Amino acid sequence: MSVVEGAIIYANLLVLLAIGLTLTYITTAVPNFAQGSFAVFGSYVALSFLRFFKIHPYISIPFGFIFGGLLGLATYLFVLRPLIKREASIVTLMIATLAWDLILLGIIGAYSGYISKVTHKPGMKFIFTYLDFDIAGVPAIFFVSTLVIALTLAGLLFLLYKTKFGIALRASMENPALAEIMGINVEYTRLFSWFLSGALAGMAGCLLPFKQEIVPATGALIIVSIFASSIVGGLSSIFGALLGGYIVGISESLITYGLSLVFGTGILVYSKVVSLVILVITLLIIPKGLVSIKWRKVIKWLGSTS
Amino acid sequence: MEKGDKMAWEHIITEILIWFGLYLIVAISLNIEYGYGGIPNFGRALAVLIGAIAVGGIVNRILIAMFHVTGSFATASGIVKTTVNEMIASNPAFGLALFFLNLLIAGILGVIVGAVFILPSAKLSEDYLAITLLAISEVAFMVSYYNPDIIGGYYGVSTPDVLAFVPGEYRVFVFTAIILVLAFLVYLFAERLLNTPYGRILKAMRENEHVVKAYGRDIMMLRIKTVAIGSGIASIAGALYSMYTANVIASSFSRVEWTFYPFLMILLGGLGNNRGVMAGVFAFVTAKVLLTTYKYEIRNALNLPFEAVWLEYILFGIITLLILYYRPEGLIKERPIVTKPIKVRCRSRFKEH
Repeated sequence: MSVVEGAIIYANLLVLLAIGLTLTYITTAVPNFAQGSFAVFGSYVALSFLRFFKIHPYISIPFGFIFGGLLGLATYLFVLRPLIKREASIVTLMIATLAWDLILLGIIGAYSGYISKVTHKPGMKFIFTYLDFDIAGVPAIFFVSTLVIALTLAGLLFLLYKTKFGIALRASMENPALAEIMGINVEYTRLFSWFLSGALAGMAGCLLPFKQEIVPATGALIIVSIFASSIVGGLSSIFGALLGGYIVGISESLITYGLSLVFGTGILVYSKVVSLVILVITLLIIPKGLVSIKWRKVIKWLGSTS
Repeated sequence: MEKGDKMAWEHIITEILIWFGLYLIVAISLNIEYGYGGIPNFGRALAVLIGAIAVGGIVNRILIAMFHVTGSFATASGIVKTTVNEMIASNPAFGLALFFLNLLIAGILGVIVGAVFILPSAKLSEDYLAITLLAISEVAFMVSYYNPDIIGGYYGVSTPDVLAFVPGEYRVFVFTAIILVLAFLVYLFAERLLNTPYGRILKAMRENEHVVKAYGRDIMMLRIKTVAIGSGIASIAGALYSMYTANVIASSFSRVEWTFYPFLMILLGGLGNNRGVMAGVFAFVTAKVLLTTYKYEIRNALNLPFEAVWLEYILFGIITLLILYYRPEGLIKERPIVTKPIKVRCRSRFKEH
């Protein structure tokens, strides 16, 4: 796997996670601190299908989609909705997703112990790279992750812009109160967004072990990159999440690699620092993200100064 | 009672008291920031880690330079530890001086780091603030865990025992007393601080930022100041913990232990109310110490095919959700601040009747 391929694969997965995070932020106005654990949940779904039914992780992507989606639904129905009904503040909702993240970590950790004991194969720490194969000299994960992104985007575009449900969905994202007056059930859009968010994370989780080693606590490791991607994109635009995911994912890999050529491999532990720096710079310069920039004005300004 | 039983109980009680003291300091620091000021500091663990860095990373290096010890950081700290421990054993004043130096550096560093780490998000809304603080804290944790040059990373680094002059069998009791005294001082400080104009403006900021702004207060400065104070206090807990174990390992400063659990404790006890927080910390610490002490018994009794720590996570996560659902005000409800004029007024009214 060359460095550029690795960077694109990682960015593809990050985009899936960032789009999910952004979707639920748009409909529910709460940043989901459990998004990283959603992905690890997906990884363990793929591991289970591999160990118990000998199904290749690529084949189990649809299962990752469904189980991940159900997890997303459960998050909304059992954790957030009871609190939203009590008109809890945003911070309370955030603490609730933090608690849910801890519960998921506990469940995933317990399951990892269980699966290692039952199958006598590693479960506390695992990787899928040995299952991958090459297509024309390039690892298949490169094509698979790109295909998943393409299908996801095509699906989202079709759903949001070509169906009646999509129009209702966009309306309730733009202005929930107005949409409700027009007879749209905002509850459906929330349920849908949480299902989709979990499902995308589940798919990303199936593919993540092809790129890096998975342990139950991996979620805490990737959550910084996910948040950085969404915030760079503006936290409330799906297109922004797409853009942010690629910017953060690719620069995290390439900048760290470039620095390691100069300073040696010791610098590789600082890969998440790159995400953090991008996040901080975005907050300082354009806190509303890339999508908030008025490009016409920028071009005009550039034209007037030169 | 059997002798073994008595030992076990002694162990459990000192564990509870030590953790009560350490967590009380951190919980109060978080209560100042979140309970009073409404600043959701999801990066509390960073300040505690800074306290450990002050002890294991900075003071250790000063000592290494002072005694001209050569070699890698890990081996040099080991050598310094032996030399300094011998010196402290014969000269208790040196140990006490080192103790206060550790606390001082931890406090100062905590204040500075606290003020700097809220800067990027000091102007932003609560959700952005929480995300950024969590991200910074998490990355600092990762770096100090993977990079052995800061505080020894996953290998850890040993630090001098500031109580080397106390006979081994009493050390833990003396340390427990020290931690409890400091926790009590922090408690008094917080009570005093929050019954000043500053404390009342904090509560006002929590309730409605716009009103505070309209009265000409700078929200950004207020936030920076508050997180600086809170981080300075939490950093002291990190330093105390490192001196107690005389060994700093980055992995013991995780988000769960030092951000999530403190949130759980102040929610359990009651936000914006230090007495309640004390009750919350005590209830939590008792449960946690009992769970940790009997983890093998629990595992065997329930015939779990996994480590009991996962059960602890699930349990404390569920408890947090239950508190949020059913008792968001905590064990003890917040009460209005009784200022001096209010007291005088109440008294004079009482006399009239």
